[in-house]
Amino acid sequence: MNYRRLLAVARTESIHNLRDVRSLFVIVVLPVVLLLLYGYGINYDLRNVPFAVQDLERTELSRSLIQHLVSSGYFQLRQVIHDQRQIAESLDRAAVVFVLVIPPDMGRRLGAGRPAKVQVLVDGADTTRASVAVGYIEGALLAFSGKLGAEYLARQGLSAAGGLDVRPVVLYNADLKSVRFIVPGLMAILLTLLSGLLTSTCIVREREWGSFETLVTSPALPPEILIGKILPYVVIAFADTLLSIGAGALIFGVVPVGSRLLLLFTSFLYLLASLAIGIFFSTIMRTQRLAILTTTLVTLVPTIQLSGFAFPIRSQPLVLQVISNFIPATHYLIIIRSLYLKGADLLVLWPRVLALLVFTVVLVTVAARRFRKQL
Amino acid sequence: MDLAVEVENLTKRFGDFVAVNEVSFSVAEGEVFGFLGPNGSGKSTTIRILCGLLSPSSGHARVAGLDVWRDAERIRQRIGYMPQFFSLYDDLTVAENIEFYAGLYQVPPALALARQSELAEVLELGPVLDRLARTLSTGWRQRLALATSILHRPPLLFLDEPTSGVDPLTRRLFWEVIGDLAHEGITVFVTTHVMDEAEHCTRLAMMHYGRLIAEGTPEEMRTEHVQTMVEVQAHPIWPVLQALEKAPEVVEVALFGDAVHAELRCDLNDAEARVERKLQTAGVAYERVVAVTPSMEDVFVSLARRWERPTAAGADR
Repeated sequence: MNYRRLLAVARTESIHNLRDVRSLFVIVVLPVVLLLLYGYGINYDLRNVPFAVQDLERTELSRSLIQHLVSSGYFQLRQVIHDQRQIAESLDRAAVVFVLVIPPDMGRRLGAGRPAKVQVLVDGADTTRASVAVGYIEGALLAFSGKLGAEYLARQGLSAAGGLDVRPVVLYNADLKSVRFIVPGLMAILLTLLSGLLTSTCIVREREWGSFETLVTSPALPPEILIGKILPYVVIAFADTLLSIGAGALIFGVVPVGSRLLLLFTSFLYLLASLAIGIFFSTIMRTQRLAILTTTLVTLVPTIQLSGFAFPIRSQPLVLQVISNFIPATHYLIIIRSLYLKGADLLVLWPRVLALLVFTVVLVTVAARRFRKQL
Repeated sequence: MDLAVEVENLTKRFGDFVAVNEVSFSVAEGEVFGFLGPNGSGKSTTIRILCGLLSPSSGHARVAGLDVWRDAERIRQRIGYMPQFFSLYDDLTVAENIEFYAGLYQVPPALALARQSELAEVLELGPVLDRLARTLSTGWRQRLALATSILHRPPLLFLDEPTSGVDPLTRRLFWEVIGDLAHEGITVFVTTHVMDEAEHCTRLAMMHYGRLIAEGTPEEMRTEHVQTMVEVQAHPIWPVLQALEKAPEVVEVALFGDAVHAELRCDLNDAEARVERKLQTAGVAYERVVAVTPSMEDVFVSLARRWERPTAAGADR
């Protein structure tokens, strides 16, 4: 291994990137856009859910129920419905997420010690939002019901006793903010996309330019060329990792609870694995377009769909659950989410770190073996 | 004298197409070896095999006594290669391209800088050192390619059509540089399809449809393969061409500039007189008939006509 030759290749590769607008876009603009888009745009939390009310009772009790919902901060009353037909119309227009219908006999039934039925009509078009909204509504109504029960018992001169008192304690992400879950996931997406896009062209480009002949006839050995070509991207991808860690902390206030060293180490392993995949397709494909397309398809799609970034792995069909184990991103995601949210350490995470290490070694080896000094 | 290049029965097939067909030749150290032939005759394929870019289908090729395919990596440092098509980086400046080569061939930085300024002077690259290669015209790109291929002072230099697409002045400059390199003891293996350039070489080999059809010094090529050549000047020239085509003692007639070159069978002392008589009996007007030394182009045209295109691979063997 000769460092002069290796550095000559690395230096030239860096110049290509600095002078290529597309590369600069991928290196600088892409991470920023992704961070802002995912950090701000994708939010599973609901606030100010718009709703409508058809109050058929119009008593102090029914008004206090509505007030209870509004004062929780999660719901916003948009419309008071007087006509039955308005309900469907309002949901169709997507003006509101749900409609609360208070029956005319709610107070009477409750007064008689019988259960009263309150109807909630939810727009289920967006399943994620609907299920989160239903959870919120149920919680709010349950709380209201409990309050009523306690007041009733108090009026009877009895103290509230018995029954189940459920008090869930949420660990790791106590106020259940989804940004804490998304930012680490985003780092995986970013590293996958960036590393793949950058390296997938770096060999095939030389073939298209004709400059590969220069490299082949030169005394530079295959590992020198390969490492020289990857080196700038390792630096770039690592800088972008630091950028997203920094942006996560500064913009979204998301900081890792666990070992930062382990975070950097596993991120480094993962970016090497991603770069190796890109290089691999760059050596076997004949055009830049094909190389970019294949790499993106092979890395990004499974990373988003199957790794647990967007959809929980446990809710996937068994076949996909098995496949997800063979996606490096699956292991990387579990590691960084644990580091960010749970503060887990190597004692717990070692099987995942080992899996990632194996992936990295295998992918780098395959890419290196496939690379030949041949036209 | 040691051999810089040895080629024995070298064959390269691409599917059914035989690009190089049982070619054998050798190049001694210090020679300027001209590899001639029209486009598609197998010159570039041969040179790319010699540089270790392509594997031979059969036969052997050795450079400095080492097998070009098996020992490819051991040969790299000893050869310089200027490909037919620009294969440097368009998005790097001239100086950066040179620096890249210096790194690849481990020329020490100080020495590389000295050679860069030396080459910049010889090839007049000084004013364009900081320009991106993509902004250069063909002639300048070729100068850059030549500069990078000789930066590490290889004992053996392969130049694949270095003068294609360059202006006459640059062409002359290139041959001066090639002459200087040879003077320093560097073996130069150069391909061209411009026959006149062959005069600059110490020895020649001529390729046609993948076969080696002739080999020798420029002098030998002219005298051994074409014996008698006369030039006829006339206005108009077409009647002369037609009259001589029919003559039995004429092997070959071809337009050469604004004159006609006719090759005659065997060495005839009275060649000029015979042609004049021929034209007079045919009643064709002419200005002058003079015996000439055949040019390399004459030699090539004559040889190429004798070797008809093989109909199928190896069918005429």
